[in-house]
Amino acid sequence: MNHSLAPVPTAAVLQRNRALFANFFRRELFSRYLGSASGLAWAFLHPLALLAVYHFVFTTVFRAGPMDGKSFLLFVAVALWPWLAAQEALQRGTVSIAAHAGLIRKVAFPHEVVVYASIAATLVLQFVGYLAVLVVLALFGEPVHFEGLLLAVPLWIVMAVAVAGLTLALAALQVFIRDIEHILMPVLMILMYLTPILYPLSLVPEGMKPWVAANPFGYLVGRLRDALLDGRLNPTWGDAVAFVISISVFAAGRWIFLRLSPHFEDFV
Amino acid sequence: MAAPLLELSSVGKDYAKNDTKASRVRLVLDLLRGRGASNVFGAGKSTLLKIVAGVITPTRGTVAVAGRVGALLELGSGFHPEYSGLDNIDLAGALLGLSPGEIDAKRESIVAFADIGDHINDPIKHYSSGMVVRLGFAVATALTPDVLITDEVLAVGDESFQKKCIAWMEAYLSDGGTLLFCSHSMYHIQKLCRSALWVKDGRVEQYGAAADVCQAYLAYHEEKSAVSKRLTGIQDPRAAAAAGYYAIKLFEITPGGSIPERSALVATGEAYSPDGRPPVILIGIVRADGTPVYGVATDMDNVAPRKTSNDCYAFEIEFPSLPLLPGKYFIRMHVLDPEGVRMFDTLEKPLVVTGTAREFGLIRIEHRWRVADALHTTASRTTSVL
Repeated sequence: MNHSLAPVPTAAVLQRNRALFANFFRRELFSRYLGSASGLAWAFLHPLALLAVYHFVFTTVFRAGPMDGKSFLLFVAVALWPWLAAQEALQRGTVSIAAHAGLIRKVAFPHEVVVYASIAATLVLQFVGYLAVLVVLALFGEPVHFEGLLLAVPLWIVMAVAVAGLTLALAALQVFIRDIEHILMPVLMILMYLTPILYPLSLVPEGMKPWVAANPFGYLVGRLRDALLDGRLNPTWGDAVAFVISISVFAAGRWIFLRLSPHFEDFV
Repeated sequence: MAAPLLELSSVGKDYAKNDTKASRVRLVLDLLRGRGASNVFGAGKSTLLKIVAGVITPTRGTVAVAGRVGALLELGSGFHPEYSGLDNIDLAGALLGLSPGEIDAKRESIVAFADIGDHINDPIKHYSSGMVVRLGFAVATALTPDVLITDEVLAVGDESFQKKCIAWMEAYLSDGGTLLFCSHSMYHIQKLCRSALWVKDGRVEQYGAAADVCQAYLAYHEEKSAVSKRLTGIQDPRAAAAAGYYAIKLFEITPGGSIPERSALVATGEAYSPDGRPPVILIGIVRADGTPVYGVATDMDNVAPRKTSNDCYAFEIEFPSLPLLPGKYFIRMHVLDPEGVRMFDTLEKPLVVTGTAREFGLIRIEHRWRVADALHTTASRTTSVL
């Protein structure tokens, strides 16, 4: 064992520390969600309640019609869920290092495992919720293309990789700059409205369209809609670019994390 | 020659403190190499151990460890209070880098070593500190690391468990393990370690054979706990004598300062007597912390100090072979009234006894082992490798 900064590939870190990852993952899942009945319910009820509120506000009050020819409910659900999943993974992951301060101060272990376990627990649970909502919507007669999951699952993975990179960077910075956790909430809120989740890109005025279209998350939800609402499965070059971008975000985020993690002990 | 298992070069750690006075604490360690047990004590030791364990990153210097490090740094570190003992074995094993298979294979022996009965299924938060240490040590034993770092683990836990731990450590050492053992117990250090590192105010005060370092450490603390020379309120002995007190005029020991074990010591002195009668002189030997070792007065031996002038009496006493063990002591002179009832004045002189004796206590007591076979293994283990 050498305490040097020689980079070890993520896969090797996870392979070597799989028992630790499994332990953190279970702890995350059980203590945060499954530990209490309300916790588990909340994990599903929160997005459902939001969906119901948006439905009320936009279709009942503002009388918005179908979006891109799809019912508003289905149109929003397909995109809202991944957003909320990413948002929650980011928020929980950002404070995960601080939450394990006791361990970090006393035990030597690869700190990144904590972040991976936190993100994995959130995303796995939210993906299950996503599937459940799609099934429920289908049961209510909404035209869900389940074969679209063949593309949707890789898209979720692309999202997870990028989210992991962002979270690694934020979690590391959070140790030194405590405000990040508090800034994150409003920033994510603003970003959600700037992302074509509650509206289609086609409704955005021409002049602003390139700006909104440049949002990588917007691209992702657009592709999810292609797959699950229209059943269009053919991968595009855009998907390859998205994949490359998400890998790059991950690499950059991890680089920042590994540069900062040796100094966590002083500050957590 | 094989690369050192553990090598620290000029390792330093700065802590930014809020108060400006103690703005920086610095720890510098120039090269610590070792195989076999090494001990660390003093201020800055926990930082040092954490650096070796890889928990904290030194501000400067390099740390190289050629092997697997297991660390028992603090009571219950790595344990989750809400988890049961069994779940914590899984967690702690994972933190120590064991694979799920290794943890499964070792769980039973860990439970057996901890020996806390059905409590193993209770949450750790209901454990006594002794039980937490048992479990922590049990997990560390399962790892069989190349270097095991322990910080004061033997300070908690009952006698029988301590014995079990020491027995395990000795077996581990004889199997070629290396122990970085942190303790203030000179007994444990001398029993388990062949080299010791004394860290004082974040710096290396001394590094060397365990016995030498322990002696220096004890002497330092004994000296620190006793400083004054004249122990009574008397400022001017002549004036005190005029006012009706028996007071010390002069007190010398030869050779003064530092003497080897079993050497001769002569103490001489003079005292004022306000009424011309011979006072009783008492000579005492105390360890530097004030523990009495021996005391003898003129009236006990039916002698009296010699009159040198109207109001002065002198004495001389010889100890032909002082049986004090190496350490720091004070030789005290007391002046009492001629009846030997009331003590008037006390003066002390420091005395350092040097030597290589590893016995415990204050003085050497004559002894002879009736079962006499030289133990060769002990000799080899106490050899310091640097």
